[in-house]
Amino acid sequence: MKHELFPWLILFLPLLSAAVITLFTLRCKTVSSLISIGAVAAGFVLTALFINANGFHLPVEQSETSINWLSIGTLSVDFGLKLDALSLMMLLVVTGVGGAIHIYSFGYMHEDRSMARFFACLSLFTFSMLGIVLANNFLMMFIFWELVGVSSYLLIGFWLEKPSAGDAAKKAFITNRLGDFGFLAGILMVWGLLGSLNFGVLQAGITASTLTLGASATLAGLLVFCGAMGKSAQFPLHVWLPDAMEGPTPVSALIHAATMVAAGVYMLCRVLFLLNADALHVIAYIGGFTALLAALIAVQQNDIKRILAYSTLSQLGYMVMAVGLAGPTPAMFHLTTHAFFKALLFLGAGSVIHGLHEEQDIWKMGGLKKKMPVTFWTFIIGTLALSGVPPFSGFYSKDSIFAQALEQGREHPAIGYPLFAVAVLVAALTTFYMFRLFFVAFLGEPRNEKSKHAHESPAVMTLPLIALAVFAVIGGFIGIWNNYGTQFAAAHAELPVMEQMLEPFHAPVPMACGLGAVLVGLFAAFVLYRKAATDPLPAKLGWFSRAMANRFYFDELYEATVIRLHDSIAVVADWMDRWIVEVVCLGTLRGGTDLTGRALRLVQTGNLQTYAFLFVLGVALLLYFVLGK
Amino acid sequence: MSILTYIAGWPLLAALALIVVPRDRQKTIRATAVVATLISAVLAVKMFAQFVPGVDGYQFEQQIPWVASLGISYHVGVDGINVGLILMGAIVAFAAALCSFEIKSREKEFYILLLVMTGGILGAFASLDLFFFYFLHELALVPTFIMIGVWGRGENKNFATFQITLYLSVGALIALIGLIALYLQVPADVRTFDIPRLTKYFAEHTMASGAQNFIFPLLLFGFGILVSLWPFHSWAPLGYGVAPAPTAMLHAGVLKKFGLYGLIRIALPLLPQAAQSWAHVIAWLCVGNILYVGWVAMRQKDLNLLIGNSSVAHMGFIFLGIASLNLIGITGAVLIMIAHGFLAALTFALSGYIYQQTGTLQISELGGLCRKLPFIGTALIMAAMAGCGLPGFANFVGEATVFFGAWGKFPVVTILALWGALVIGGVYMTRAIRNVLHGPLPEKWNVLTAVTHFWRKLPYAILLVCLLVFGFVPKLLTEKINPDAEKIVSQATAEKLVAPTEISGARP
Repeated sequence: MKHELFPWLILFLPLLSAAVITLFTLRCKTVSSLISIGAVAAGFVLTALFINANGFHLPVEQSETSINWLSIGTLSVDFGLKLDALSLMMLLVVTGVGGAIHIYSFGYMHEDRSMARFFACLSLFTFSMLGIVLANNFLMMFIFWELVGVSSYLLIGFWLEKPSAGDAAKKAFITNRLGDFGFLAGILMVWGLLGSLNFGVLQAGITASTLTLGASATLAGLLVFCGAMGKSAQFPLHVWLPDAMEGPTPVSALIHAATMVAAGVYMLCRVLFLLNADALHVIAYIGGFTALLAALIAVQQNDIKRILAYSTLSQLGYMVMAVGLAGPTPAMFHLTTHAFFKALLFLGAGSVIHGLHEEQDIWKMGGLKKKMPVTFWTFIIGTLALSGVPPFSGFYSKDSIFAQALEQGREHPAIGYPLFAVAVLVAALTTFYMFRLFFVAFLGEPRNEKSKHAHESPAVMTLPLIALAVFAVIGGFIGIWNNYGTQFAAAHAELPVMEQMLEPFHAPVPMACGLGAVLVGLFAAFVLYRKAATDPLPAKLGWFSRAMANRFYFDELYEATVIRLHDSIAVVADWMDRWIVEVVCLGTLRGGTDLTGRALRLVQTGNLQTYAFLFVLGVALLLYFVLGK
Repeated sequence: MSILTYIAGWPLLAALALIVVPRDRQKTIRATAVVATLISAVLAVKMFAQFVPGVDGYQFEQQIPWVASLGISYHVGVDGINVGLILMGAIVAFAAALCSFEIKSREKEFYILLLVMTGGILGAFASLDLFFFYFLHELALVPTFIMIGVWGRGENKNFATFQITLYLSVGALIALIGLIALYLQVPADVRTFDIPRLTKYFAEHTMASGAQNFIFPLLLFGFGILVSLWPFHSWAPLGYGVAPAPTAMLHAGVLKKFGLYGLIRIALPLLPQAAQSWAHVIAWLCVGNILYVGWVAMRQKDLNLLIGNSSVAHMGFIFLGIASLNLIGITGAVLIMIAHGFLAALTFALSGYIYQQTGTLQISELGGLCRKLPFIGTALIMAAMAGCGLPGFANFVGEATVFFGAWGKFPVVTILALWGALVIGGVYMTRAIRNVLHGPLPEKWNVLTAVTHFWRKLPYAILLVCLLVFGFVPKLLTEKINPDAEKIVSQATAEKLVAPTEISGARP
């Protein structure tokens, strides 16, 4: 088969799988899951074959393949695939990490009666995510953007009977829609000003200055960023992601840690050429703020999945900040390594929850080292990688972000230096809350009956953990950075493995700061939590700890403002509809008709004299008008 | 004989035939209605497939002179604007006939009225003669009132019937005045009801702007009332709330598009100057539909009222497309007309099934139905998602196209419409799903029975498939709509060829 067809196959196999499962095999759990796993695994193999045959950098004429989807006058939308290092790397991540999570789900969801529906939704999600990755124009990306949103909605609300899951799904959908509102407005604006939706055409035009957004450039850039704000859960639209943990844990790993939430960062890297300096500065600050906010909240959470969720928010903040600091390469690098270790951590958490019979509170766990050895060891690898301990992958990607911040500091001191400080602080917090989780949940003595009877998960769940753990260890120096680097900077030098391993030493300041932060965080966590039976922090920090535990009251704030406002407008509109339009207008009409009828009835007295009188009066009037003039 | 005559004729013939069938032969009656609508649906598909895009003039044309002195003739034909509408109408009618299971009393009368409604509206869309265009619409409209009045449900039935009858009759009357005024604008010796000839005449002889500005509002508000243009919308949710499902499907899905079709087919090309000057008014009124009615929908406690309000809100996007007066906008408007036809029919069919099973549509009474009724639940989720503009369904293509079309001319209105489409639509649709389908199943609904029979699943499946097909391959529609939308746009935006003072004495 020709290699040109591979990308189309990779994209459409999951859709086919979703359709086949929905239409034919809903009753058969095993067949459905095998179809779904097969589709994503085939995608991974085909991607690998394609890259093997063509490399990461295709010649220009082969890097885009498209067919016309819609063409009306000046509006022309292609259904097209863009194949470059950026999208090919993401293909590997989505199908690779996604494949591991698919296999894991086979074990995790085995008892669920709706397992077939689960796999149909997973396949739908994979299709949508691959669509975002491959899209070659704005509208295509928006289409798959929305589809990703809906598959996330379906999967968060997968447990239909659970009211909290339904509420979380709704919240996620609507919050994402708020971001999409800005995104689509931005797309309309770009199209209105530049006349094209195709990334390649736009990029060429803007680079050559034949197309220019003029004064609207900042606004257009920020509107497009709104989309990323929703999907990648950046402040102020971050509130949906922690609630999304109501979904099954593999979903949290796949969608709300590794892939979908990274879509915003990916999109920003894809359209980087549109963003001017002002827009980038705003993006950098929003990213940095989200990273700090979420890290602080994570410190005082007790639900194992929620800690990881806030950690995801915080790491996404890092990536967005890196984009804002004009560093797409560090952003994508961190996105990739984060996909490995965060998926690993979530799957590990899922394994713990599974082993402890649905227990999620870390203060009810403990002593899991002997009972769940594979989970334990892979989890610690994930924790080390996330904290940024060398030589784990997170160390390299985080270090590249620190270096980027310092470098930007030379040009824009007001942006680079403060954000560098924030990044280091967040790194310390990250280590602190991750080791808090680790010490409390895994070490010490079992705290209750459930953790005494914990058991290791089956091989179908532990093997994906091991595979992800391998990449969480080596991801920092196997060439990921090279591939993204050559995408974004033509002069990027490709380094061999050994030099990649030593790369951080070229910039000792950020590396030293990063390692220092890790040590501080680790030390603090060790002192406070190594032997703790309850959390000592609330007593020490007082109101600040309560604020952290309550997520700084953002949900309450939105509830009291945005939601209340919309609801009250709705009440007024409904009231007007009921009373003014229906009663007043119709009432007048009906009343008027009624009154006329009554008035006319007065005339119909049945009295012969009255009739005669009226008749004579009428004749008299008629005569007056006819003759009198 | 044109295929169009058969498409509209079979249902009417079947209605006539049913008159002689005894009322206790329910199966025969039902089968007749289903077969007749099936035949016209199949013929409509055939016609749609045979339609050649971009051909000059009308296709499948047929003209039989009737009252020559007045210029009335039976004249049918399709171009890109109505070809999709007729296809949609015929398919929705078939689905509505299949969904008429729920009618348990006076079936004979119900099916006769349903068939008359079907034949009338398909005929109205096919008509190229103003007289038949209007008459056939009335023929379809009157059964609506009777069906709501007799087979309607709930305590609000009488008020709703009263309101819908009053509004729609007044709307139709205002539109009639406008059409007659239009007819009288042609000099007596060449007067005609023939739409192509009228179009040609007014393309060559621009109407005086005074007359245009007098007739256009009559058509806009007359047709607008029929389409539930804000603020003349309150009949629609209420009427659909009490209507039996098949009636709501046909009316909200098909019949309601008549007013929009009239605006695009008649008002825009014949009254170009007035259309230009009224475009702003239409654009701002559509904000009322999209935002205001969207907010009203957020508050509804009855599923059917919610769907009804959402259907009114969708009309706003079509008006926005019309107001933009350019190729992209008008094409988008026609796309939404077709997509919304399938969607409205689907949602009302689904709520009809739920009502039939539970006896209530109060959202607070329902809950957790997805587990008990997986097929209906899944279909309702898909319909809700299509309703809030999810890509993959035809509605998204239409709405996105309208936004692109309107952006250059009305950026503020487009932003407001985006808010309505993405946020408000998302809010009320996900609320409905959350409260009707998610959550624990109340004890009392354990008795519900899921749809298993092929024939019961068929109408929902057909409508879903149509939404998906046109959502995935919008070219099927756009390449047909495009050339004819372009003609309408070029007429609606054409510079005046002749100064208004000169035409008063001009003769063809």
